[in-house]
Amino acid sequence: MTRSHASLQSRLLILVLGFAVAVWLGAALITWRDAQHEIDELLDSHLAQAAALMLVQAAGDHDDVVDAPVLHKYAPHVVFQVFVQGQLITRSANAGQQPLASQTEGFATVRREDGEPWRVVAAHQAEHDVTVLVGEQMESRQAILWAVMRSLLRPLLLALPLFAAALWWSVRRGLAPIRELRETLERRTPSTAEPVSLLGMPRELQPLVQTLNSLLARIDRMVQIERRFTADAAHELRTPIAAIRMQAQVALGAGDDVAGRSHALYTTLAGCDRASHLVDQLLTLARLESAPATPAVAVDLGALVRRVAGELVYTALGRQQEITLLADAGCLVAANDALLGVLVRNLIDNAMRYSPDGARVDVTVRRHASGSVMQVQDSGPGMSEDAIAHLGERFFRVLGNERTGSGLGWSIVRRLLDVFGAEAQIGRSQELGGLSVKVFWPTLAAP
Amino acid sequence: MRILLAEDDAMLGDGLRAGLRQAGFQVDWVRDGLAAEREIASGVYAAAVLDLGLPLKDGMDVLKALRQRRIDTPILVLTARDAVPDRVMGLDTGADDYVVKPVDLIELSARLRSLVRRSLGQFQDSLRCGDVELYPAARRVTCRTDEVALSTREYDLLHALLRSAGRVLSREQLEQQMYSWGHEVESNTIEVHIHHLRRKLGAELIRTVRGVGYTVQREPPTT
Repeated sequence: MTRSHASLQSRLLILVLGFAVAVWLGAALITWRDAQHEIDELLDSHLAQAAALMLVQAAGDHDDVVDAPVLHKYAPHVVFQVFVQGQLITRSANAGQQPLASQTEGFATVRREDGEPWRVVAAHQAEHDVTVLVGEQMESRQAILWAVMRSLLRPLLLALPLFAAALWWSVRRGLAPIRELRETLERRTPSTAEPVSLLGMPRELQPLVQTLNSLLARIDRMVQIERRFTADAAHELRTPIAAIRMQAQVALGAGDDVAGRSHALYTTLAGCDRASHLVDQLLTLARLESAPATPAVAVDLGALVRRVAGELVYTALGRQQEITLLADAGCLVAANDALLGVLVRNLIDNAMRYSPDGARVDVTVRRHASGSVMQVQDSGPGMSEDAIAHLGERFFRVLGNERTGSGLGWSIVRRLLDVFGAEAQIGRSQELGGLSVKVFWPTLAAP
Repeated sequence: MRILLAEDDAMLGDGLRAGLRQAGFQVDWVRDGLAAEREIASGVYAAAVLDLGLPLKDGMDVLKALRQRRIDTPILVLTARDAVPDRVMGLDTGADDYVVKPVDLIELSARLRSLVRRSLGQFQDSLRCGDVELYPAARRVTCRTDEVALSTREYDLLHALLRSAGRVLSREQLEQQMYSWGHEVESNTIEVHIHHLRRKLGAELIRTVRGVGYTVQREPPTT
């Protein structure tokens, strides 16, 4: 589409100039027709008058055939013949012997032997049987018309370039705010987020600039979120790294204190696990926040939970924790397999992570008429109402918690719930006394 | 020297406590801002290491509150907030030093010793009284340039006395400065350690102020 790329300025110029020329040409055409009509009327009346005069004269004397002398250089453009009782008695030099026209009364346009069109008027007097034919070359009429048109069109043709120049200047001036806007935008650095000023902006550009400003504001918000996330992430990574470094140094300086050294070394390892868990969670979250929506398919929730729980069993065994799983068959939910795995893993991992050694974690998957429900309960300390309200804020951790979480698990869970259109309910577990998390999926529509 | 450590992260706090103990400090560890403020205000600590992101009360608020109460215990802020405005705000609020995590244990110990030294108005890295000279960085003591072997407690007691040279310290004050939490103090421990110090360094160094406590003489500034 080259049209859409054309400059606004040249489009305006071409349109306005085109219309102006069309209007002028229209006016000229009308003038042409009018002038032609008037000239015809005027000259026809002259012809008729000349014929009447000659008729009166010819009725008086009808002697021999007389050839009228050529008196003027325009005379060849005019022709006449006078017949008395069918005999040609007088004619102009350029008239010839044959009657100019066949009619005896009125006007006719005829083509003579030279091929030129002539306007001929015939007048007849019955008393002496006199017929007068007066003709005039049509070309002379055209010449008058052209002269009229020339005088009309010449100033217009001269004015056209002047008009185009004035128009070009006006359009350029009129479009100046667009150019200024472009320059303002060009001067901006990617980091400037303040809105473009609406001051002095023409009304036509204001909606555009307002839309642009709201886009800028949205981009700025995203950049801020991104920046805060990076800052938070750096902040959060520093603490485990500081701990690893400190513990390693303690191990180095332990000397004869074998117990102290091995404690420090174990803590160093735990610190490494914690840092890598944090990095994994950060990457998961970053991927979730920037990833486009993945197509959802029907996933068997029970089978998926069984698989994830199976992967976590070894970790649980290390802490003498017990995971039990009760799953109804055929709980289909609309999700992406891998993402749903991340969600389930985070929920079970949270329950294990924040429960003491030897705790119990129960996972149930139930099918209801309205949808599927997954519930994760633990026998851990649970959470206060206040703490539950803060869940999902990045890097929020429950106060006084000895366990080393990333503070990102709930951010990830929240994000995934949004993606799947599922809802979560967090509270105290009736059966185990710890935390209970219920996730509802609406029934999958039959395909 | 007894140091208060305020750090909410279990793993890092554990490491800091172990590391600072290795460096010869008596370390008490609190995990929230309210406890940190209360303990620093008690005045028994030679210095404090304060994390800023503390639960219950932010480290910066603790710092502000302490300085408003005219408590001048040297405070080293140890934090992950590394932006320049954060550092400036920390120092302007009353921190004596601002260290960004992760920190080297040896550097942290040196900074703490330097903070304590400056808070006592000293310019040299050693404390002396008569023929006895104590080097805190190396935990060494010399008497007439001869190396003297002291136990940890004897060293801590001498350090406490030398830091407060010219002042009389009661037995309770000495105990508070020497023992971190969880260490039971026998009723006559201080007397036993004083006795050992006098035997190793000469009887005239530590004077008993009857009914009040112990003191060492303030060394006139060397020119």
